[in-house]
Amino acid sequence: MKQAPTLSAAFLHPAGSSLPEPLLALRKERGTALVDMPLPTRKTENWKYSSKYLKLSDEMAISLPAQGKTGSSLAVPGYKVVFRNGIMIPEASDYPDLDGIMISRFGDLSDATAADLAAKLDGTLNRNTVQLAGLNSARFEDGLLISLSPNAVMDQPLFIIHEVDADASGSAFPRVFVEAARHSQFTLVEEYISAGSEPVMVNTVTEFVLADSAQVTSIRLNTEGENVQHIGATGVRQQRNSRFASHCVGFGGPLRRHDLQVRLEGEGAECKLNGVVVTQGKQHYDNHTTIEHVAAHCNSEETYRNIAADQSHAVFNGRIHIHQDAQKSNANMNNKNLLLSTGAEIDTKPELEIYADDVKCAHGATIGQLDEASLFYLVSRGISRRQANVLLTMAFINELVQQIPVEAVRDTATKRLNQFFDSTFEEA
Amino acid sequence: MLSIKDLHASIEGKEILKGINLEIRAGEVHAIMGPNGSGKSTLSQVLAGNEAFAVTSGEVTLNGENLLELETEERAREGIFLAFQYPVEIPGVSNLQFLRTSVNAMRTHRGEKEMNAAEFMKLAKEVSRQVDLDPAFLKRGVNEGFSGGEKKRNELMQALLLQPKLAILDETDSGLDIDALKVVADGVNALRAEDRAIMMVTHYQRLLNHIVPDYVHVLAGGRIIKSGGRELALELEEKGYGWLGIKEDAAEAAN
Repeated sequence: MKQAPTLSAAFLHPAGSSLPEPLLALRKERGTALVDMPLPTRKTENWKYSSKYLKLSDEMAISLPAQGKTGSSLAVPGYKVVFRNGIMIPEASDYPDLDGIMISRFGDLSDATAADLAAKLDGTLNRNTVQLAGLNSARFEDGLLISLSPNAVMDQPLFIIHEVDADASGSAFPRVFVEAARHSQFTLVEEYISAGSEPVMVNTVTEFVLADSAQVTSIRLNTEGENVQHIGATGVRQQRNSRFASHCVGFGGPLRRHDLQVRLEGEGAECKLNGVVVTQGKQHYDNHTTIEHVAAHCNSEETYRNIAADQSHAVFNGRIHIHQDAQKSNANMNNKNLLLSTGAEIDTKPELEIYADDVKCAHGATIGQLDEASLFYLVSRGISRRQANVLLTMAFINELVQQIPVEAVRDTATKRLNQFFDSTFEEA
Repeated sequence: MLSIKDLHASIEGKEILKGINLEIRAGEVHAIMGPNGSGKSTLSQVLAGNEAFAVTSGEVTLNGENLLELETEERAREGIFLAFQYPVEIPGVSNLQFLRTSVNAMRTHRGEKEMNAAEFMKLAKEVSRQVDLDPAFLKRGVNEGFSGGEKKRNELMQALLLQPKLAILDETDSGLDIDALKVVADGVNALRAEDRAIMMVTHYQRLLNHIVPDYVHVLAGGRIIKSGGRELALELEEKGYGWLGIKEDAAEAAN
């Protein structure tokens, strides 16, 4: 019998690090658990459409040093933290001391705080399903802890610019943990960018823990280059009456995988998950989302749009799990997909698992092309075919772009979308 | 202005237009009437350049230029405008954005400066009032959630904004109550000009009470079987199409 491929042992050697002892201990424990971890293949259900894009070489197992410089494409209007190859760069970061809000790199934590954090890390994620992103916990060399006290309100968004820059193959493991105490409010923008051309892996985990009535918005913009295989996970746990909104905008690459897992654990909690994915050339992008309705009276609203051009491949898997006690749950999931060429592929799978008997659940998924009648209507008014294509493609996602509550992100996303249109739709 | 000679067109191998001959000069208003399925809408769509229809033979020129060699958008820029019978809804594209893109495409073609958002907004508001359409509709998606009458008025508004050489109005009167019909008729009459021709496709002659045509043509079975002045429309109203030896359902069968 053929042996299933396992993660190369080279990936389980974390770089020497100045992390506090409790976090080093956690890393070691997680690493041990991953020995002989099977790599996903097309027989692995949640990697079925994406395993063929995963190309990890032993050279990529090396931790990239914190060097290089890429420069964000965002004109950052708020507070800024820069991570370079997974390590925070204080001299490039810029944020003031804020009342009731602690922002600290993992390396600067006291042993006591680090021990407290170590007990919480991974608490938002199902480690059985995030698989490869779990490697982050065995390898992170730094990270950012954001802790909001009760009633603390951050007056501007915090931007974390995750840069990866390398003149050799390797990996980066950025890590973020956000604790929002009761009635606190916070917006986090995470931008993933890259420079260089050597094959690298970015392996990232961001976690949000929302106490009662906390309100958190997470914006995630991925514009990394063609050399980056990105495997990321975001985990969220929500207590009573908390609000979580997520806006993910992703442009394709050789491998792009994002798992987003939300647990609604307190009554009255609500989450809204928006996602836009655009792929072209031979690019790939895979979004796997899970919403667990654990408590009663929670609402979830999920809207994802994929646009695939050329020979690219987009995947959406949206799972909603309504637990037995989650009566009066209200869950709405919608995924629409636009194929811009006959060579493009989109796979979508909504999954509902319902164990409560008094719930409202709706889901819908469609895959289509640009509407010929609409195109004819536009060109019959003198609009060029190219511009008509752009108008209709933009119309497909515009609503979601406009909902992103930070203008700088909308502008960058729009700029990148225009580049996509320029290369996808020819001038007449 | 528009010259159609022995035009044949088909869709999915089925011939719909079987030799249309028509001359329209600048300043004239022509009404094309006929029973359902006679080819009226096909003629409109073919002139506008809908590629779903194949022109199998014949000739169409606009001011001497071969129209059939032009792409849809080029025809529009040369001055062809089709007011659709069933305008599509395009959610996500605002009416204002659509209209400005269209007007500026025409202006660029004519070598004129594009209109900025403020200039265009002013113009669009004026024209929307002219067709009795609340300017709030400008902010909605193109035709999104518009009633039948609102869609027709939105079409007419586009004609007024784009100032075409030849306006083809495909059943612009259908589905309108009498008040809306008057608004639309006023709009069409406002379009009448020395240097512009109007081709109105209609099933009923009631629109012609408000817009007096110079010529009336009866289209049946893919051919123009009778032409005359406005009195022909009244005669049709009185006698029906049977008088010309065609039945509505027979016309369908002929296709």
